[in-house]
Amino acid sequence: MAFFLQELVNGLTTGALYALVALGFTMVYGVLKLLNFAHGDLYMVGAYVGFFVIQWFGGPSHVSIPVPLLLVIMFVLAALLVGGLGVAMERFAYRPLRDAPRIAPLITAIGVSFFLENSAQLLFGAQPRIYNTSEFISLSSGIQIGSVTIDSVQIMVLVLAVLLTVGLRYLVNRTALGRQMRAVAADREAAEMLGINVNFTIAATFFIGGALAGVAGVMGGLLFNQVTPTIGFIAGLKAFTAAVVGGIGSIPGAVLGGLLIGVAESFITGYISSTYSNLLVFLLLIAVMLVRPSGLLGRVQLQKV
Amino acid sequence: MKRSAIIAATALGALVAAGCGSSGTTGGGSASGTTKSCVATVGMEGPLTGPVAFLGQEQLHFAQLARVSDNLRNKTKITIVQGDTQLTPSIATTVTQQFTSNNKIVAVVGPAGSQEVEAVGPLMARAGLAFISGSATNASLTTGKYPTFFRTVSEDSVQGPQDANYIVSNLHPKALMIVDDQEAYSTGLVSQMVPIFTAAGIKVDHESVSQKVTDFSALVAKVTPATTVVVLPWQVAANAQQFGKDLAQQHKNAVIFGTDGLYDTTHFTIPGSYVSSFGPDINGIPADVAIAAAAKAKYGTFGTFGPPTYAATHVVDQAIASVCKSGQTPSRANVLAAIKNTNEATTILGQPIKFDSHGALVNGKFFLFKINSSSKYQLIPS
Repeated sequence: MAFFLQELVNGLTTGALYALVALGFTMVYGVLKLLNFAHGDLYMVGAYVGFFVIQWFGGPSHVSIPVPLLLVIMFVLAALLVGGLGVAMERFAYRPLRDAPRIAPLITAIGVSFFLENSAQLLFGAQPRIYNTSEFISLSSGIQIGSVTIDSVQIMVLVLAVLLTVGLRYLVNRTALGRQMRAVAADREAAEMLGINVNFTIAATFFIGGALAGVAGVMGGLLFNQVTPTIGFIAGLKAFTAAVVGGIGSIPGAVLGGLLIGVAESFITGYISSTYSNLLVFLLLIAVMLVRPSGLLGRVQLQKV
Repeated sequence: MKRSAIIAATALGALVAAGCGSSGTTGGGSASGTTKSCVATVGMEGPLTGPVAFLGQEQLHFAQLARVSDNLRNKTKITIVQGDTQLTPSIATTVTQQFTSNNKIVAVVGPAGSQEVEAVGPLMARAGLAFISGSATNASLTTGKYPTFFRTVSEDSVQGPQDANYIVSNLHPKALMIVDDQEAYSTGLVSQMVPIFTAAGIKVDHESVSQKVTDFSALVAKVTPATTVVVLPWQVAANAQQFGKDLAQQHKNAVIFGTDGLYDTTHFTIPGSYVSSFGPDINGIPADVAIAAAAKAKYGTFGTFGPPTYAATHVVDQAIASVCKSGQTPSRANVLAAIKNTNEATTILGQPIKFDSHGALVNGKFFLFKINSSSKYQLIPS
């Protein structure tokens, strides 16, 4: 039972990260019908922002401000900067191609991904940058239930992921901006005719998606301790899969997909073998897609004829 | 910045004055003092970007250091053309096709990975282009199937059994976990080690994770109390550090035993861990003081991937210089012949470099280190 719970906690934590990145994927797809393959690289940039904040305040072993304050600064700064980067990405790479065939922005997204990855290597070097989380957040802090360990970083990741998801749900369903986003997602031209500022709405979507990826990047850095220019690839791939399995365009679907993948990976590694983890996880996901082609919580698109 | 440039220049001068910390014969005679204008181009293949770019960059830096000092010492004009393989066989193949079609290139340093050598070996052989890797250790590469391949490091068939026997005899585990990183290098080592563990009656849990994965929490949960050793034949030290942190976080006491890529005094510092490496710590070799100082001043800290590539580049440079000294113009054929005759008595690696008929390093050895309680690497005498 202890082993089961430990793997469940591990899986939920990883899944929460996938879910946060998947939210950005699914929001952008919902509004623009664009698969933004550079979205995983925003996660990478967020992780770098967190790393440099730690260095700015004295490094992991000599943090010059209270740790809770440091964490707040890391998350807020990562959200703002990466959100801003998301807006810049939309403005300069995707907006000029908004009316182009759908393959054009798709290829551009891959190009932007490589641009960000190689820029990071040029700016920050190829060597991994190490968070050394245990230097400022003790490994023994957290909850110990029998032999099950849930450390404070895992708790923070889970709580923050829940809060952000709830907040995003509120924003999309209960605010004016959310209504505009839904209107643009439903029919961009009609939304424009109704006086909605489409450019602003799309930019806001990229900002929110980028901010979530930035926060997830800091979480990833705190959990996995390292950041390299290429960490966005796996994060992006898993998040994309989570978004598709959950039903691309659906916010609860992205969360469900992320958690499902995280937990499935963890249990397959724990109970079968890490060797077959990816194989079995993706077989499971193929099975889900065969049963529900539009994803677990996705809606079937009706085609007007 | 200015200060470090001065240190680098001084160290480089000392390096050249020290004769690169090596002496010997290449191509049948001393290469020093080439008088005729000796111009040649050498290709350098390595993972210059991608997940293990830090290893490739270190290799490139050491190749450049060797080129500069050899050019000064031999009065040659050797230039390096870079090729980024990203440790991916298909990309290495494309880079190699570019190199083989470039007639100016007379030899290649690299590629880094065994899987890449497997991919490019036939192309290099067809072009008659000598290539010397400073890190490809898979035993099958030097069985004669790639006639233009050489390496300045020893092979898995030496390292795997040596490490496995050390673990069995000195760490006495009843159960162990061994995790490959799904690369040819790693799976090759695992296949060498597992039979020895099994024969010793050790319960082996063989796992596998991609080099790109950084979340090991689920895997660490599988480490049982009886599992006292975790073997990680990996190339990314930071991943092993994370594995160690996950072990501590889940209150597991297993000792990590890593190989080659884990030799990284900055990124892998878990006390009590072991690392076996094909390359020595050149900081501990008195003859290499100047090279180590030049490398540190110019590029910062380094691990064990750079020096064997320095040695590989040096072998190529010496071969070219000896060809020039004999009055010929460097070509693929005569440089290949000169490399085959390499006989460097003392090298940056602290051991002679001579190749057998299949390009393997003669009498190559591995070095075993233990990380002490201050996170310092200590050489375990063989």
